[in-house]
Amino acid sequence: MEKQRFGDGRPPENAAMPLAGTKVLEFSGLGPTPFGAMLLADLGASVLRIERAGAVNPLGGDPRFDFIYRGRPSMAVDLKSPEGLERVRDLAGAADVLIEGYRPGTMERLGLGPDTLCADNERLIYARMSGWGQDGPLSGKAGHDINYLALSGALFPLGPSDAPPVPPLNYVGNFGGGGTFLAMGVLAAMQERQRSGTGQVLDVAMIDGISVLMTQLSGWMQMGQWSAGRGGNLLDGSAYFYRCYATRDGRHIAVGALEKPFHDAFVSALGLDPEDWNDHLEPSHWAIRGDRIAAIVAGEILEHWLTVFDGVDACVSPVLSVDEAARDTGGTKRGSWVRDTRSFQPFPAPRFSRSPVRQPSPTLDNAELERVLHAWRAEAAA
Amino acid sequence: MSSNGPLTGLKVVEFQGIGPGPHVAMMLADMGAEVVRIERAGHQPMNPVVERARHRAAVDLKSAEGKAFVEQALAHADVLIEGFRPGVMERLGLGPDAVLKVNPRLVYARMTGWGQEGPLAQAAGHDLNYIAITGALDAIGKRGELPVPPQNLVGDFGGGSMYCAMGILAALFERQSSGKGQVVDAAIVDGVTSLMSFFYGQPHSALRTVERGAGLLGGAAHFYRCYTCKDGKEVSVGAIEPQFYAELLQRADAPEHLREAQMDPGKWDSYADDLAELFATKTQAEWCELLEGTDACFAPVIPLDEAKDHPHMKARGAYVEQDGRWHTAPAPRFDRTPNTVRESAQDGEEVVARWRQEG
Repeated sequence: MEKQRFGDGRPPENAAMPLAGTKVLEFSGLGPTPFGAMLLADLGASVLRIERAGAVNPLGGDPRFDFIYRGRPSMAVDLKSPEGLERVRDLAGAADVLIEGYRPGTMERLGLGPDTLCADNERLIYARMSGWGQDGPLSGKAGHDINYLALSGALFPLGPSDAPPVPPLNYVGNFGGGGTFLAMGVLAAMQERQRSGTGQVLDVAMIDGISVLMTQLSGWMQMGQWSAGRGGNLLDGSAYFYRCYATRDGRHIAVGALEKPFHDAFVSALGLDPEDWNDHLEPSHWAIRGDRIAAIVAGEILEHWLTVFDGVDACVSPVLSVDEAARDTGGTKRGSWVRDTRSFQPFPAPRFSRSPVRQPSPTLDNAELERVLHAWRAEAAA
Repeated sequence: MSSNGPLTGLKVVEFQGIGPGPHVAMMLADMGAEVVRIERAGHQPMNPVVERARHRAAVDLKSAEGKAFVEQALAHADVLIEGFRPGVMERLGLGPDAVLKVNPRLVYARMTGWGQEGPLAQAAGHDLNYIAITGALDAIGKRGELPVPPQNLVGDFGGGSMYCAMGILAALFERQSSGKGQVVDAAIVDGVTSLMSFFYGQPHSALRTVERGAGLLGGAAHFYRCYTCKDGKEVSVGAIEPQFYAELLQRADAPEHLREAQMDPGKWDSYADDLAELFATKTQAEWCELLEGTDACFAPVIPLDEAKDHPHMKARGAYVEQDGRWHTAPAPRFDRTPNTVRESAQDGEEVVARWRQEG
């Protein structure tokens, strides 16, 4: 195991993780639902995943490398059989949290809706993950990350102004605006339950989460400082001091020199006189200055520019591939990735000083399933 | 100004900052926490939407009175949020060692790009730099072109504020059993790395490749990308599963040959040309009429200033008008203790005085 990297006062090796003792029943799904469960498991919750009997992982591949399923065992249950349902109801009776991401109405049809399960267990936090939400005209309709981004205004500005927008993979919808809101909502409800003794139902919708991620841009837009269009904005690649440039060897640097001191350090290091580069926030300067800098950066290889900008507060970074990032060639030396016997995987975030998170195990086997079931039963009996 | 949200009763002290820190404080405040925001004298809100629901206090941290006020606030607080460069709080005499000695129950959250440690910890940086070194930026854009910055949604917020808020709440849960607070080191580089967990294990499948513009989710597949309509407006399609793909083709009346070999990346470019031609024959409104609200995995591409007016967003109340501004409604939604959007007030001193009285 990689040791916890932290500043002052290293936590003891055997300290409990922050969510130790929390029992989470997860109904297996795609994208944000398992990701939210991963975040809770990463922080120490005991998560048990229910798979529908006979279900095949639609993503294919070796499940041991599916890191969003890490840190928890799974149990196949036939949800259409009375025995299967009974088993799941028992587990929900012992759980603190239930996570599901089916289409609205599905859990109810299975006899596992919140009215039933929260009546069995009034402390249960019943978290429902979806794209469009539990209500509204599109609720229950099929959709994916790109659609939620499109409708919430997040996709429109991404990409060059002369072509349709480019999806930022599924970072912003499924994960940033989905699974993280699921985990945050569950934890807030647990905080409330400490006072009230009662759980509740959470409607976690990606379109809502994406909108909250857009709050800063929405505020700027209403102050006249940001346009909802494509191109011409400070953070979309239009500004010459906030964009990527290609180097001579086909690599890229990313520049984020928004403030004047950083901007001036950036142009100085390129051999230009900051006196000639005033009013950097004035968009009419951006295109022509961007072309000029692109030509300069294209004249040397990445390594050269990294040397030039080493130790300069100019907000310049190499654009690394995931493989390079995993090998930490970017130099954060934080151990954001950790290596196990087979592969690199992301280390849980954030970091805690006293109750450290640990490198998660891969998807767990039957022995682990038995251990988890036994622990849940023992606690329920106590 | 009262709230019924799940964090009602939680006392938070926020040090004025930019980007993810204020966003964390906003989300906690939206969920009902009482947030006192320590601001420099004369501070004008940089973003009144993000800076909503705060109890503002103008404080000179270098003066004896200012420092005494902040120390009193922290002695009674549950949570501290700061986003300065590592070492700044220590130099102000407000580092974790000093503050946790006075209030051992405090959750001390530190929000930065590079983290509290490591060779880059003291370097300046912004969202684009943090996502550049994680590998996330490299994957966004078109093949053979420059990476496209996803505004600051992936770094500052998705991988930043969300992980900080989650860490604070997890530490509060842990405090219920230990009685102790702790330091949460929320680094954007760590959060973005965690956001990429889906990709890293099996990066060589077409679904999960992180090669720019080459993957299914990166815009290479004809069934997962945007198209331009007759009126120049755009639409998105995301029909990955065969049954949804079939519904898209059938409802859009697409050429017959597209039904074959959906998942063959060798066909994607030519199929995308076919669909580009098809989508150019009707306006966005006409496509919405045909495809919206079906299982074709379709949505119009809407600019942010129009999002609040879409019927679905309206029905969900995704935006709330207050104080002459449109506010994003807090997420997620809680059925028993709903969140509310509140206004800020310059009453931080009164609130801290009340905290002291309450003990």
